[in-house]
Amino acid sequence: MDARLANTWRLTLNEKNFIKTALLSEIRIDGRKPFEFRNISINFGREDGSAEVQLGQTRVMGIVTAKFVQPYRDRPNEGTLTIYPEFSPMADPSFEAGRSGESAVELGRIIDRGLRESRAVDTESLCIVAGKLVWAIRIDILILDNGGDLVDAANIAALAALMTFRTPECSLGGEDGQEVIIHPPEMRDPLPLILHHLPIAITFGFFIDENVVVIDPIHNEEAVMAGRMIATVNANGDICAIQKAGEGVSQRVIMQCLQLAITKAADITKQIKAAVEAYNSERALQKIKRETTCVGNSVKGDQNQTLDNKGISELVGKYMERLKLISVESYASQNINAEEIKSLRRGTDSNCIKFNSTPLSWDPYSKGVDLECLKASVASQGLSTASEEKEASGQEKGSEAESACPYEDVNSKWSAVDASTTEMHVIGPKTLKDAVKPKNKRKKKVSSMI
Amino acid sequence: MENKQSSSPASFVDSTVVPGDVVLDLSSMTSQTIKLGGGLRQDCDAISAMKAGTLRFSKPNKYWIESSQKRYVPCVEDTILGIVVDSKADNFLIDIKGPAMGFLPVLAFEGGTRRNIPKFEVGTLLYLRVVKANSGMNPELSCTDASGKAAEFGPLKDGYMFETSTGLSRKLLSSPTCPVLEALGKKLSFEIAVGLNGRVWVNAASPDTIVVVANAIMNSESLSGAQQIIMVDHLLKNIQ
Repeated sequence: MDARLANTWRLTLNEKNFIKTALLSEIRIDGRKPFEFRNISINFGREDGSAEVQLGQTRVMGIVTAKFVQPYRDRPNEGTLTIYPEFSPMADPSFEAGRSGESAVELGRIIDRGLRESRAVDTESLCIVAGKLVWAIRIDILILDNGGDLVDAANIAALAALMTFRTPECSLGGEDGQEVIIHPPEMRDPLPLILHHLPIAITFGFFIDENVVVIDPIHNEEAVMAGRMIATVNANGDICAIQKAGEGVSQRVIMQCLQLAITKAADITKQIKAAVEAYNSERALQKIKRETTCVGNSVKGDQNQTLDNKGISELVGKYMERLKLISVESYASQNINAEEIKSLRRGTDSNCIKFNSTPLSWDPYSKGVDLECLKASVASQGLSTASEEKEASGQEKGSEAESACPYEDVNSKWSAVDASTTEMHVIGPKTLKDAVKPKNKRKKKVSSMI
Repeated sequence: MENKQSSSPASFVDSTVVPGDVVLDLSSMTSQTIKLGGGLRQDCDAISAMKAGTLRFSKPNKYWIESSQKRYVPCVEDTILGIVVDSKADNFLIDIKGPAMGFLPVLAFEGGTRRNIPKFEVGTLLYLRVVKANSGMNPELSCTDASGKAAEFGPLKDGYMFETSTGLSRKLLSSPTCPVLEALGKKLSFEIAVGLNGRVWVNAASPDTIVVVANAIMNSESLSGAQQIIMVDHLLKNIQ
């Protein structure tokens, strides 16, 4: 008991009086002006949907996860959204571990109202099977350091996490069309959540003198202020929610604050969007690198005896296989994802550039292709390393005969291909060739440039 | 100058040590009296460190370990800033940022008798001296110096108090004067009281002077002397 008494943070009378008198001359103790926000910095974690926001000394982390649930009876085709705030004891000596007090509940409620009642998150797109299966989005908010103004920081963290969160793509399939197939991220890109707008919470602090209003109070000011208003607005000028506590304030002051909140919300929205953009483009770049390296690993696992050259040509071959498979699937299922194709194309470019030192002996129809065809294809590409090619492809063919499922699976799907693989390379059915052709041309261009 | 250890090639003075490091080997030093300060412990012939920090030496024979924390461990004869939490019959309970509350006897004032016990509101800031500091017991404080005079101890009026680390408050009290205080003192006039428990009180004529001084001191924690001067110049330029 004594220890807890000794560890509580206390405010001196000197501080109280000073904060109030300084505010009368529009000076705040950290040097800001009354309507100045602290610097916001947004960082993202390794996984989708995790964001850490720093607002001056305040640090908050937001994490978004999703799982399948049955929808509520009265809303059978809407997903659910729940917020779990946690006030960690490391943030402030007054926070206790476990169930935290009313300020935690209030914070959760304010953010929840801002997102749910303004319909910022599109819950109908979270429905998979109406009445049976929907996504339940869970937002965990962890307060790491309390430097004042937790609600604003927590809101930004929640929004940043929601914007970068991705759900795996699901489709209905199976025998009766009732099975839900969840596509792994390697096969289909996971989908982002649909956010119609970004509700931003802005906290105002009121003091005894009516004309004194501050925005984004730090925790000393929070201990001294008489009243508080949290306005959740968005950049379009809509007011999503208002929470008011403490001393009464006149209507004129409230209207002024709301106007100010809308301008500040526009700034903060820009910052959040810029941070999310930067993160997304970095992720896209990393995804391409990841695709090439992960294929390489699987190849090396299969065949231990391959030489480097051969290994790489195998790798290229396998990669092209996978690309063909994906592109075929996407064409076949009429689900052309422009982004996907672009990323694949980019992938092939980078692939080409990577392996330009080895002969491009990639061959989409690897199984059962004879040497002549290979030579023909290589000659048509204008490479002069035919002899090396022969050796490499000969060994490649031999070892490929031993290789396991992947090739077979790939080939079995192409029922049209089985007929005459050699001919395929030259003529072939239109669908596959059309799928292949653009990549051929691209590869030729790059190889000729080399 | 420093005694070279026979066991280690380089002396540990002014370098960072961690608990367990043997910093002095007494077998090489005979017939000398060495005074050990905080953070050092003697095991027969070896002096080892108990705290993590920098080993310091002052002539002729004093060794101690300096480190900086956010919380304070009470030591006798330290001057600190305390906040009144409660008043009992015999003592005031004072918060000194330590592991336990400090007790300030109601008579520990200059000319203090049972008739003129001062009344302190909860939240009053006091400048105090530590009289007794034993581990496990509440430290005893006083508002007089050793001879019983007031000597600037007692409540501090107005102004603004902020918290720092113990290392920074020691730097502020060191002589020669800390660069940040010197640079601020050249341009601004203010009054300052530094508590070794990591609390600093500033008072000046106008609020913006107080704000500038407070922020300058808080920023100077990790800066070197020259950097502190540059930082202060920068801050003052923005004001004027």
